[in-house]
Amino acid sequence: MTEPRKILLEVKDLKQYFPIRRGAFRREKGYVKAVDGLSFFVREEEVLGLVGESGCGKTTAGRTILRLYDPTGGEIWYTPQDGQPINIATLSQKEMKPLRREMRMIFQDPFSSLNPRRTVKEIIGEPLIIHNIARGRALEERVAELMEAVGLDPNYMERYPHEFSGGQRQRIGIARTLSLSPRLIIADEPVSALDVSIQAQVLNLLQTLKMELGLTMIFIAHDLSVVEHISDRIAVMYVGKLVELSATEAVLYQPRHPYTEALVSAIPPADPDLHFTRIRLEGEVPSPANPPSGCVFHPRCRYAQERCRVAAPTLVEVEPEHFVSCHFAAELQLRGIGGNHVA
Amino acid sequence: MTEQITITGKQQIRPEEHESYFNLVWRKFRKSRVAIAGGLIVLALAILAVFSGFFSPYDPVKLNMRSGFTPPSRIHFTDINSKFYGRPFVYQWKQVVDENMYMHWVEDTNTLYFVNFFVQGWEYKWLGLFPSRLHLYGVAEPGTIYILGTDKFGRDIFGRMCLAGRISLAMSLFGTFISVAVGSVLGVISGYYGGRFDNYLQRFVEFIQSFPQLPLWMALAAVIPPTWDQMAVFIAMSTIFALLSWTLLAREIRGKVMAMRETDFVLAAREMGASDMRIIFYHLYPNTLSHTIVVLTLTIPSIILAESFLSFLGIGIQEPLVSWGVMMREAQTIQTLGFNQWIVAPVLFILLAVLGFNFLGDGLRDAADPYTIT
Repeated sequence: MTEPRKILLEVKDLKQYFPIRRGAFRREKGYVKAVDGLSFFVREEEVLGLVGESGCGKTTAGRTILRLYDPTGGEIWYTPQDGQPINIATLSQKEMKPLRREMRMIFQDPFSSLNPRRTVKEIIGEPLIIHNIARGRALEERVAELMEAVGLDPNYMERYPHEFSGGQRQRIGIARTLSLSPRLIIADEPVSALDVSIQAQVLNLLQTLKMELGLTMIFIAHDLSVVEHISDRIAVMYVGKLVELSATEAVLYQPRHPYTEALVSAIPPADPDLHFTRIRLEGEVPSPANPPSGCVFHPRCRYAQERCRVAAPTLVEVEPEHFVSCHFAAELQLRGIGGNHVA
Repeated sequence: MTEQITITGKQQIRPEEHESYFNLVWRKFRKSRVAIAGGLIVLALAILAVFSGFFSPYDPVKLNMRSGFTPPSRIHFTDINSKFYGRPFVYQWKQVVDENMYMHWVEDTNTLYFVNFFVQGWEYKWLGLFPSRLHLYGVAEPGTIYILGTDKFGRDIFGRMCLAGRISLAMSLFGTFISVAVGSVLGVISGYYGGRFDNYLQRFVEFIQSFPQLPLWMALAAVIPPTWDQMAVFIAMSTIFALLSWTLLAREIRGKVMAMRETDFVLAAREMGASDMRIIFYHLYPNTLSHTIVVLTLTIPSIILAESFLSFLGIGIQEPLVSWGVMMREAQTIQTLGFNQWIVAPVLFILLAVLGFNFLGDGLRDAADPYTIT
């Protein structure tokens, strides 16, 4: 084993609350706790998959890390290319601007994330203009390079987004993200708006780019089967909190949290003849405005006991590099992929 | 790790030829016949106004009391003996008194005056620069041709309508320009920033909109000192119209921007480090352009109508400036109108202008957004 790579990004106890305003005077009547105490780190050249159901705060977490929202609390330590880690949670937008070259995002919806009034050249080249990197001829060459890198014909750079298909548009979005040669990319469900056949293409593209460019990525998805191939480690989120974080194999084959077990069981096996039992979760995802007491997962957990209703578990390292937030992580025998059915 | 992405076997990039925004708009616009008709009407009026000297055979501001209220000249091709002449001619009008002591206008058929084209006449300046005596049409002295008759002071109404078009059209364009500039900028900013500024601005918009327009216009117009020179009055009047019409656009643009503010492409712009100014003017504003164009073509006719109305009431443009509304003032007394119906001719141009701009706006509304498949 090579020595562990350096940590590029470390998030400590990140909180993002959105106020709920009601009534004639728009008083704050409470908070939507979209992200509530999130802690994890990402190493250089590593892909961290961030999974969870819709509404669990994955996207908010990604946007908060990039300071598209101002965090309510917590720290975001980022290590720039040449320097000491800095806490970007408290930087002003102006101080943030040079860091935006290094930290970029891929957006979920390729239809709304491209300005319909701008040509592909203008869209892909915009970061270069904003950060004063290239103009004119040089810009055009760089855009052509990027378009080729993502598998688009550079001759189409004068076209408008509406002339492209969903998959092509997502490639445009990826080219825009790559234009500044970023060190960290937060990919916010980059394939969930695409057809399944196109999903594979875009995933393969991201995989190739990751290998060639040594990208560090936080890959957000609601589907474990999408992230399992691309991720080195997987973090599972539930209602604003991390429930499990470990290497991809560990999460898939030896899950330690009941929620992860349910997610893993939803991955269909490649062999259609195999007996496939999904664990169905009862009920709905609780509202982040009014989360349940104790462990947020307890109303839907098959193994919940009295203690779960009262005390909220913390994220503890049950094995090296395997973090779980469950009171019974050490006791439960949970089923991973291909595991025996627990009667 | 952060090396540039490079490609091997680099080939020549030849971006394909691509239609510009205006080409796309034009291609769609062309398909609408109504819009083309509207555009042609507006264009014709503009040409008549800009080259009014060329189109008026007589100086439209020079008084000529002896020929006051002359009816429109009739264009003939055959004389009273049914003799056909290959070219148009006119007779002169003369007044006769019948047995009941009523005055009548009768054509003096003794002499006919052929209508000549591209004749020399009174001196004017092309675009205010190049002196010329050339006119589109005219008749030999001492004959006269007034195709829409004359007003009280014996001035050719058609020539004055062309001249008045300058003020009427220029004022509506200028007023609309101010209105659109103020309305769109305030609308975009209000929609983008939201919050307190938006709240105050919208209350202010409601305040302006709740005024009864007409009395407010009248009050504002009445404040303009009569001693001001013509240009100052023109600008002041345009500004008054503009300041009362920007609210509509501001509201609409605000709504559009509010809807767009939360879209991913704005978020993407912020994510790449774009400034607020860049987001507003590079990303949001161009997306409201189709709206702006439509409101623009609706504001122009409304200002034309408002100007005509105020001038008709005598509180807008004052002589010696002439607008379509000013020309209509003579039609205020029923008696004058009853005997000399042709003095309402400027209504024709007002009507054409309003219709023309509305048609044009209709076509532009559909054409201005070529990036959506309809």
